[in-house]
Amino acid sequence: MNALSEDAEARSWRKAYGLALSLFAVEVVLLYVFTLRFS
Amino acid sequence: MNRLDYLVLIATILAIPLYGLWRTRGSASLGQYLKGDASIRWVTIGLSVLATQAGPITFLSMPGQAYESGIGFIQNYFGQPLALVVVCAIFVPIYQRLKVYTAYQYLGERFDRKTQLLGAFLFLVQRGIAAGITIYAPAIVLSAVLGWRLDLTIWLAGGLVIVYTVMGGTKIVSITQRYQMIVILIGMAIAFAIAVYRLSPDLSFENTLSVAGKMGKLEAVNFSVDPHKRYTFWSGVIGGFFLALSYFGADQSQVQRYLAGGSLKESRLGLLFNAVVKVPMQFFILLLGAIIFMFYQFEKPPLYFNQPAYERALANGYAPQLTALQAQFDEVFVQRRAAIRAVSDAPLNERDAAMTKLHELEGKAGELRNQTKAVLAKAGVDPKSKESDYVFITFILQQMPHGIVGLLIAVILCATMSATAATLNALGSTTAIDFYRPLIRPNASDHHYVVAAKALTAAWGLVAIGIASFASLVENLIEAGNILGSVFYGSILGLFLAAFFIRRVTGSAVFFAGLGAQALVLLLFATTNIGYLWYNFIGCAAVLILAPILQQTVFRAADTPAGV
Repeated sequence: MNALSEDAEARSWRKAYGLALSLFAVEVVLLYVFTLRFS
Repeated sequence: MNRLDYLVLIATILAIPLYGLWRTRGSASLGQYLKGDASIRWVTIGLSVLATQAGPITFLSMPGQAYESGIGFIQNYFGQPLALVVVCAIFVPIYQRLKVYTAYQYLGERFDRKTQLLGAFLFLVQRGIAAGITIYAPAIVLSAVLGWRLDLTIWLAGGLVIVYTVMGGTKIVSITQRYQMIVILIGMAIAFAIAVYRLSPDLSFENTLSVAGKMGKLEAVNFSVDPHKRYTFWSGVIGGFFLALSYFGADQSQVQRYLAGGSLKESRLGLLFNAVVKVPMQFFILLLGAIIFMFYQFEKPPLYFNQPAYERALANGYAPQLTALQAQFDEVFVQRRAAIRAVSDAPLNERDAAMTKLHELEGKAGELRNQTKAVLAKAGVDPKSKESDYVFITFILQQMPHGIVGLLIAVILCATMSATAATLNALGSTTAIDFYRPLIRPNASDHHYVVAAKALTAAWGLVAIGIASFASLVENLIEAGNILGSVFYGSILGLFLAAFFIRRVTGSAVFFAGLGAQALVLLLFATTNIGYLWYNFIGCAAVLILAPILQQTVFRAADTPAGV
């Protein structure tokens, strides 16, 4: 049970990291679009 | 500045530390003094981490940097989100599990005392100097433009911080940083809104950005692979990753922020908050600089933004040369304003010619500024900091309404106080835990170490003020801090990565690899001109390559490798 809950927690943290990095990727794409639009 | 500005300024910078002192009243154990308590949640940790990294240089110099060179500096932060995820996944669980007060205690547990001391020593040297720069950088600019005495400005910025950091430890640093960061974000948002509002009605906002872009101010992403180019996507992602990994993983001024409270979940959420908000925040600060640049295309800017230096040169008998330069500059300004209107209004087929003309005029204006700088040098008033550091403060003082001026000066001082508090807190803790406790008084009481940590924090505060009092800057304020960090961070990070990932390596091998890597980086710094972000990568890689080699050769029979 303990190992299962640890696994679930590790999975949810991996999702959180994925979400943070996805948001960052969107930020970079937006900055690149901004650069193309205004340079 | 008028009375309203001073009222806003004094109320803002005093209210937050007083509230912090009230929240942290009463005595604290060593654990509470160095790590805070469980009431510190992720929002506080996130804002505290953000405030520690930002510092006054971000808010004072960065708009000026964008004014001069565009917003490409944003790319320096591209490695940070990835680094923060690595810190969350690897560094934080280890620190929380071992319940360390400082990051360097982990090196002691994994390797040996001398490696712990090497990591702590490199941190103390780098951060001790950086603390002086953090206080000096805004003080030199504020004292020049506001006419305050430099020594009093340094003491205003540094003295108050020493008092409340010594009294309240980590908890007061976290609490005050939270509210200081809120003041900073509100102040910068107001500055941004007013700067946009003050733009010329002759151009729409979109046209304003288009012209700024054509003048090279809005290139946020550049995929060039030239290693001599300072800001590119690649140097930002790779060099910035190592810089951020070292800074967040192995710099006690940050480690202490996210270990505050002692909860793994709150630490991770605070760091992930930074992974998401850092790039947008820096983007808006840099964009503010580009907007100020466009504002001064229609509103005549000073010939030289460092007006106090300019006026001293006038008084020193250089009025004829400077007046002649001013007359030429005024003429170029009128032509440039007309050229911008032409770029915006001209039919498509004539825009290129108008743009070429605009670039020529921009070059002429730059040349006139350079000549002015040469005259200032001849007049013996060559300023210690770059002219671009005076752009934002000049805009604040000349274009913002009263009250907001006071708030924005408070923003700069809040940023100084928050960054300095975190640094002093970390310097005091590291000296107490990594040096004083094991080497000088190994078996004293908890209370004794709290008193020692307080005394050492105060001592580092005085060292920082001493450095600030005798500092003279060699380059832009932002650059000075980042270069200093990059020179030391790579080796420190190498020590930690060797500890995490190389099982068959011992303290002696890592210790000498660390010394060798640091010597290599210092040698490269002194003899080459490669982009400074690469030092993070080089220093780290040198430790990771040298340590196993030394282990397999010199230290093969000497030590038995320990597990992670």
